[in-house]
Amino acid sequence: MAIDRFLRPKASSWMANDGENVDIAMSTRIRLARNLNDFQFPYAFSEDEALKVDKAISAVLLDKGRELDYNFTHIDIQETPTLEREVLVEKHLISPYLAKGQHSGSVLLSNNEELSIMVNEEDHLRIQSLQSGFHLQEAYQVAHQLDSLLEKHLSYAFHEKFGYLTSCPTNTGTGMRASVMLHLPALTMSHQINRIIPAISRLGMVVRGSYGEGSEALGNVYQISNQLTLGKSEYEILQDLQNMTEQIIQQERRAREAILNNSPVVLEDRIYRSLGTLTHSRLLTTEEAATCLSDVRLGIDLKMIKDMDMSILNELMIFMQPAFLQQYSNKPLQPKERDFARARLFRERLNRESLNDEGEDFV
Amino acid sequence: MICDQCGERPASVIVKQTQQGQLTERHLCHICAAGNQSINIAFEQDPMAIHQLLSNWFPAQQKTINPVRKEVAVCPTCGFTFTKFLELGKFGCASCYDTFEPHLVEIFKRLHNGNIEHNGKIPASYGNTLKIKKDIEELRKQMKTSVEGEDFEKAAKLRDEIRVLNTQLEGGVSNGD
Ligand SMILES: [Zn+2]
Ligand SMILES: [Zn+2]
Repeated sequence: MAIDRFLRPKASSWMANDGENVDIAMSTRIRLARNLNDFQFPYAFSEDEALKVDKAISAVLLDKGRELDYNFTHIDIQETPTLEREVLVEKHLISPYLAKGQHSGSVLLSNNEELSIMVNEEDHLRIQSLQSGFHLQEAYQVAHQLDSLLEKHLSYAFHEKFGYLTSCPTNTGTGMRASVMLHLPALTMSHQINRIIPAISRLGMVVRGSYGEGSEALGNVYQISNQLTLGKSEYEILQDLQNMTEQIIQQERRAREAILNNSPVVLEDRIYRSLGTLTHSRLLTTEEAATCLSDVRLGIDLKMIKDMDMSILNELMIFMQPAFLQQYSNKPLQPKERDFARARLFRERLNRESLNDEGEDFV
Repeated sequence: MICDQCGERPASVIVKQTQQGQLTERHLCHICAAGNQSINIAFEQDPMAIHQLLSNWFPAQQKTINPVRKEVAVCPTCGFTFTKFLELGKFGCASCYDTFEPHLVEIFKRLHNGNIEHNGKIPASYGNTLKIKKDIEELRKQMKTSVEGEDFEKAAKLRDEIRVLNTQLEGGVSNGD
């Protein structure tokens, strides 16, 4: 099956961990929302129209994508089993909304998984461009090029005054959502993050932790993105986000230094305990794994831990999730069994042990 | 505070959720919170519950005050009423934007920090047409000033330029280039 290559527990290139400021800015994502002029939007269209939209868009991408050197793999959502859809969600290649499969829809993936085009999500088209590290301009260029190619062959819903017309009024205009995923352990530990989040939202941007707005972030990972899509050009939106992100990165660096100066032993203890947990546990909950991953990641950034590859940590963040664990174990798992499988996955990856030979099985 | 779910461990995470338009806040311990949601970084959540905001700005009773206006606000293409748009917080098609345009300025102002007009990328196929329209607008303004200043010779010249551009618009413009 064509989909198989995307389900393997192998890191996508956007998880590779390279580029400037990559210790704090883990990845960058640009999403463009577009609709076709001659069809009703997904909240109103019929199944027949959904099918036509999917065929029209997929045909252009499969045929013309090659002009930009893309060899897209087409994955029909309704034909994909639920667990496999969830794996694609956990890998950030499709949204939970598309995974529901409410109408005919599909995703077209580039080989390196940096481009993912969702058809019949909340809009007819969602172009998503992912990059490792902090690369707003580069990620936008990729999305913009593909958008311009598509536009030659499809008639977009566009309004002289309102710009690109989208299902949701929060996307109208550029249809662009740009976001950077940031690892902010020191700002979290020192509670400074609680001051930063409201300040950012006043400037037309949002910060979200992994539990959603206003709550603690899982693994100290936050996503900062633009909230406005109307009135500003793509360039201005990206520039604002760039400046804001750079400021947060600087503040995180300062907070790290302060913690390192004030309580080096406490910090070192915490980091090594977390390393111990990840490499020796027999049961690991998602929350514990995320917290420990954050600590170990910080340990690598601060050069306390020297012999560990950061990209393995990025992979683990993705592969420790429920659907992946089940895919990896080749069977459905109850929550407790997942904690066992998760612990085993971490030991395998981090100690480079081969646990498969031990004849050990999940609980 | 004790975890709402297991009732055993202390609550350490506040999880806010909107279900059927109702904002609920649950206090969970770290273990229940982790079990509840996967690690996905709020991948594609609305920054706010949009339909909720919209209904707050346009309370239900307002919709029945003016029956004529209500009748007008039915999208001829997809059949969405303004009420339905408010409920869902979503448009049904491109024509909805024209149908509900009188209300949209207010909505966009609030959603986009006072902005109501697109200022970004324009599809190449619209690029030329849009440019000509903007040029015509500009020339009209200049013509008005010329007439007011009684410079009729210049006004006549501008009128001819506008005519040329208008024929270009009607005759269709080559796309893209
Ligand atoms: Zn609990
Ligand atoms: Zn409509």
